Amino acid sequence: MFDVIIIGGGITGAGTQRDCAMRGLKTLLIERSDIATGATGRNHGLLHSGARYAVGDAESAEECIRENMILRKIAAHCIDETDGLFITLPEDDLAYQKTFVESCRKAGISAEIIDPELAKRLEPSVNPELIGAVRVPDGSVDPFRLCAANMLDAKMRGGQVRLHTEVTGFIKEGDTVVGVRTRNLQTGETAEYFAPVIVNAGGIWGHGIAELAGVNVGMFPAKGALLVFAHRVNNMVINRCRKPSNADILVPGDTVCIIGTTSDRIPFEDCDNVAVTPEEVNLLITEGSKLAPSLSSTRILRAYAGVRPLVSADNDPSGRNISRGIVCLDHEVRDGLKGFVTITGGKLMTYRLMAEMATDMVCKKLGVNEVCKTAEVPLPGSEEKSYEDVAKKIWENPTTAQKAAASRHGTAVAAMPTGGRRNDALICECEEVSAGEIKKAIEHMDVSSLTDLRRRTRIGMGTCQGEFCACRAAGLLAKAHGCIERERKDLSDFLQERWKGNYPIGWGDTLREAEYTQWVYKHVLGI
Amino acid sequence: MNLQEFTQSKYNFEECMKCTVCTAYCPVLQVNPLYPGPKQAGPDGERLRLKDPFFFNYALKYCMNCKRCEVACPSGVKVADLIQAARIKHDHSKPKLRDRMLASTDTMGSLARPLAPVVNATIGLGVTKSLLDATLKIDKHRTFPKYSGRSFEGWLKRHAKAQAAFPEQVAYFHGCYVNYNYPQLGKDLVKVLNALGVGVQLLEKEKCCSIALITNGMSGKATKQATHNVGVLRKAIIDKGLKVLTTSSTCSLTLRDEYPGLLGIDNSDIRGAIQIAVRYIYEKLEGGAKLEFKPDYHKKIAYHVPCHMERLGWGVFSEKLLRSIPGVEFTLLDSNCCGIAGTYGFKKENYEASQKIGEPLFNQIREVNPDVVACDCETCKWQIEMSTGYKVMNPISILAEALA
Amino acid sequence: MRFDCVIIGGGLAGLTAGLKLQSKGLDTAIVSTGQNALHFFSGSFASMQEAPAEIIELFSAAGIKLHYEKGVRLMPLGTFRDAELSLEDIELFKAPKFAKKALVVNLSGFHDFFASFLAEGLEKQGISCQIRSINFPELEALAKSPSEMRSVQIARIMDRITDKVIREVRMLLSDEDAVVLPQVFGLQDSAVIEQLRKGIPVRVVFAGTLPPSVPGIRTQMLLKRRYEALGGTFMASDEVLKAHLYEGRVHSIATRNLDNHFIEADNFILATGGYFSKGLRSNPFGISEPIFGLDVRFDENRSAWYNPSFAADQPYMKYGVVTDASLHALREGKALENVFAIGSILGGTRPELGTGAGLAIRSALEASNQILNIK
Repeated sequence: MFDVIIIGGGITGAGTQRDCAMRGLKTLLIERSDIATGATGRNHGLLHSGARYAVGDAESAEECIRENMILRKIAAHCIDETDGLFITLPEDDLAYQKTFVESCRKAGISAEIIDPELAKRLEPSVNPELIGAVRVPDGSVDPFRLCAANMLDAKMRGGQVRLHTEVTGFIKEGDTVVGVRTRNLQTGETAEYFAPVIVNAGGIWGHGIAELAGVNVGMFPAKGALLVFAHRVNNMVINRCRKPSNADILVPGDTVCIIGTTSDRIPFEDCDNVAVTPEEVNLLITEGSKLAPSLSSTRILRAYAGVRPLVSADNDPSGRNISRGIVCLDHEVRDGLKGFVTITGGKLMTYRLMAEMATDMVCKKLGVNEVCKTAEVPLPGSEEKSYEDVAKKIWENPTTAQKAAASRHGTAVAAMPTGGRRNDALICECEEVSAGEIKKAIEHMDVSSLTDLRRRTRIGMGTCQGEFCACRAAGLLAKAHGCIERERKDLSDFLQERWKGNYPIGWGDTLREAEYTQWVYKHVLGI
Repeated sequence: MNLQEFTQSKYNFEECMKCTVCTAYCPVLQVNPLYPGPKQAGPDGERLRLKDPFFFNYALKYCMNCKRCEVACPSGVKVADLIQAARIKHDHSKPKLRDRMLASTDTMGSLARPLAPVVNATIGLGVTKSLLDATLKIDKHRTFPKYSGRSFEGWLKRHAKAQAAFPEQVAYFHGCYVNYNYPQLGKDLVKVLNALGVGVQLLEKEKCCSIALITNGMSGKATKQATHNVGVLRKAIIDKGLKVLTTSSTCSLTLRDEYPGLLGIDNSDIRGAIQIAVRYIYEKLEGGAKLEFKPDYHKKIAYHVPCHMERLGWGVFSEKLLRSIPGVEFTLLDSNCCGIAGTYGFKKENYEASQKIGEPLFNQIREVNPDVVACDCETCKWQIEMSTGYKVMNPISILAEALA
Repeated sequence: MRFDCVIIGGGLAGLTAGLKLQSKGLDTAIVSTGQNALHFFSGSFASMQEAPAEIIELFSAAGIKLHYEKGVRLMPLGTFRDAELSLEDIELFKAPKFAKKALVVNLSGFHDFFASFLAEGLEKQGISCQIRSINFPELEALAKSPSEMRSVQIARIMDRITDKVIREVRMLLSDEDAVVLPQVFGLQDSAVIEQLRKGIPVRVVFAGTLPPSVPGIRTQMLLKRRYEALGGTFMASDEVLKAHLYEGRVHSIATRNLDNHFIEADNFILATGGYFSKGLRSNPFGISEPIFGLDVRFDENRSAWYNPSFAADQPYMKYGVVTDASLHALREGKALENVFAIGSILGGTRPELGTGAGLAIRSALEASNQILNIK
């Protein structure tokens, strides 16, 4: 028996579990796939200053800047404080800049108009034709790390997590939801879990979960496509200073940079398998090159798309004008269904606030009187501000792989086994992931496949897209799980998953790499 | 629309397919486990350094800039340039006195030359060597090249009038080695060129090509000297319409490729006119010129292509010239590094590695047992002579010797 | 500089053509931009319907022993593939069950060899399997550099301690009738392979590692050495920038290193490989051949280049330079009379010549014969 069951292992679910656990509740999180597989892991990874929303949606803007400052404190190892620019190009109206800056200031966002020349010095990749620039406290955030850290904290506080487990139905007593029926998608095992409150944090899939519970949440699936470039072209976020539109944000994230996004309504049945079209790719490159012209001649690593869980408000076909505002529904009040809460809308940036709102509602229902502390207590791994300090404190002379691991896990890197060939051997050379880091992830971070491992360590996210590291890591996973047959399939699935993001941009060096990967796996290794 | 028609990146680092071939050919990696290897130090490291300079690894100093990774790379990644450029950008540690001394080949040369007898006697003494070993960490096994009492520049100036009389003219970038240590090589070049009806001039005032400054972390001074050199090269090439010849593969590579690649100095207007002498001579002969050789010349020659000659792709000219000398029994040695890499092998910390790297080459030379080893690089010459006892000659000197 | 024939590309196809022409007395040069796909060679030449005596002889003169049998071979992930013509490192079996009981030996800390996959694959065939790891202290130094526990670096050490390897493996053997070792032996010389086979009293099977391929590098080195010994000119670090055409013939080529010193030849062989080796260049608008501007067969609709399934055959791998029956390359629909295209640059345009390493040698011999006939 749990106090609360949370459905959904995205950032909202993970954040809610952490908040509930911090308020002393006994929690269970159920996720049908892996952490951050929905919209959480399929966006820019932009740490919004809120400036993007300042003109059109003051409420979102204010939420963003508040959460932005909080995340810098509590999630240091997931965040890169890069700052951002909002640039005006000759084709844009410079008059918008004034409105923009005023709105930012009203929302409490520091927005400083700077000389275009200074902007070019600060960010040499920026379009040199810019006629205006505003500097704002944007940054980048790694959603996988953020999600994993929230879940880890919940687990350290007694929370339980079931990944790769699908909710197949709700158990009701009259007008009250009392539990869920589940099925493990890897083993086929079924189970029932009970709790007085169940939180639906399923993102766009929350629509179907609500239906399963017998209520309707009118959601709006809006697909957004993005491109990953093979290295950091920019070190500051670059945005267009105009009304938000397609492909007008370029975010540096870890070793790469990401341009996005598009926004198109798609049918619900497409949510599980969104593919990026050639038209979207063209649009992203064309518009992206206006922010940083070098993108037109920079190697692209992959294309991917996410589905935003917007809540329908009007009949706008693009979804652009819908508020990104948070929706927290008490289905008892709304639909007369007791013990069921839906938390949705919002965005990665405001996950903590969403979690706080959902947890407040859960606590109210349970009669628990604890205050939220998630804005003050750092996430596990974020106890130190800089990974440079972390690495230097643990190792006098950190190796490149140790530095990289510290940048990924923050202080939690201390638990990574090091020393000797078995631990220090490099598995992923592009992203500098050692065997020790992989062992740590397998032991402590709920890894059941190579793709899960990728989300926790970045293996396979670098230039070669898993060509070399995939089978090295498969060897380690096979050892940990003791099943070669399963690992063979896992390896194929992983290569398929990488290819899915490669072929929409399959030309030039990406096609060279693809040919090489095909050759190595099919003809040399004999998969 | 030309979006993504082609892609480009600094030193082509994004063209790396992670195939790992470079690591198979890196001589340092075979002997020094502290070196992360060309792939990690080059294209892999570059992505991380772009994320945060904290990822710069000081072990990049173990790269000896032999460029064998670039020769091996199937993708055209300028691996060694990436590594050297990263060192220039991120390694701000002050070079040691020893490194500054080793790097300042022309200053050392002009100081030592007038005192040549004394200096030569002293640098050859065991006690001096041990002292250098202990105080400066210059390995005691190394003997500094002897300094010549008279500089090559002085010699050529004395013969300027005679040289000017030839109908065709070239300028000669002799480099520090010919000027201070071994003027004979310069004289040999003059002899061969004169035999082809070509006179030799000096540049207005050349300075050291600066490769040693670059690899020893003194890019500021290197840039100054390089800028000066490009100026005097332009005077010869553009104003006077001359070709500029060299007898050192490393000087050639530096003047042609390291100036624009590592120091950011544009030399595109003169690059094509800077050539190694063997290529110029080959082209002369191909154009119909003739050289008279001794009728009874006989030599068994094993030719070692220096790493930088291989990178330049000009080993073929030395090979073809040597093969064309009547009475020469020619063997092309396998492509291997001798291990010295300029000043690299002089450093005490590198001595052992340097000798191990050269081992396959030394073994093959002993196996072939030639009368003389031919090689276009002065530092390879010291290394091979010290390590095998075989005599090493520049192909130009062999040509000069074989001339009737 | 002038040659009878200039070969562009120093991989398996280029070297084979070079060896054949040079051994028939032609003066040839190979212009190579870096190393090549031999570094990822599996050890078997695909699609050889018959034993090619000529290749076996050509390679044998270079010190490379090939053997030909119709059979199956063990792949690094524990699967079996049909194979015929192979390097001596590769064992060919009549059937996958090549032993009753096998010992799979790995080196401690080596992640590029897949012992557990191999063992499972053998078990599936009814071969009972044990995995053992040997800890060679000689590898400690390598391990200091975390990225260098790789096949080639290990082979350099293994080749020095072959006797010790034999002793250690013998000590691990009980009643096995086969032992599976990683392909980290014989980097310079295949004598090490023979030595292991002689020293270990049961059947020794080598299974591949992640690239680079140790037998592949050895093959490349021996072929190049032989080519140079025959007087061939191997330009290891150059790149052909453009070709000078005149009335359907290529007159000369310009390279990066030689500036305006053009290389002339009677015939040119293009062996620059597929996409990886940049023989074919692709961008969002199409696929081209960068040196001569040859005709390339590909689908104008980019979406048709790919099969969304990684496991499926990929259409883009079938695209290639168009040739006439005698392998003359076509430009603007017309055959260039002295330019031949061989190897992977043909993609799947000449299915009758096979794929991969088989295509490389068969097209190389074919083009060489054409050139020798003209002479």
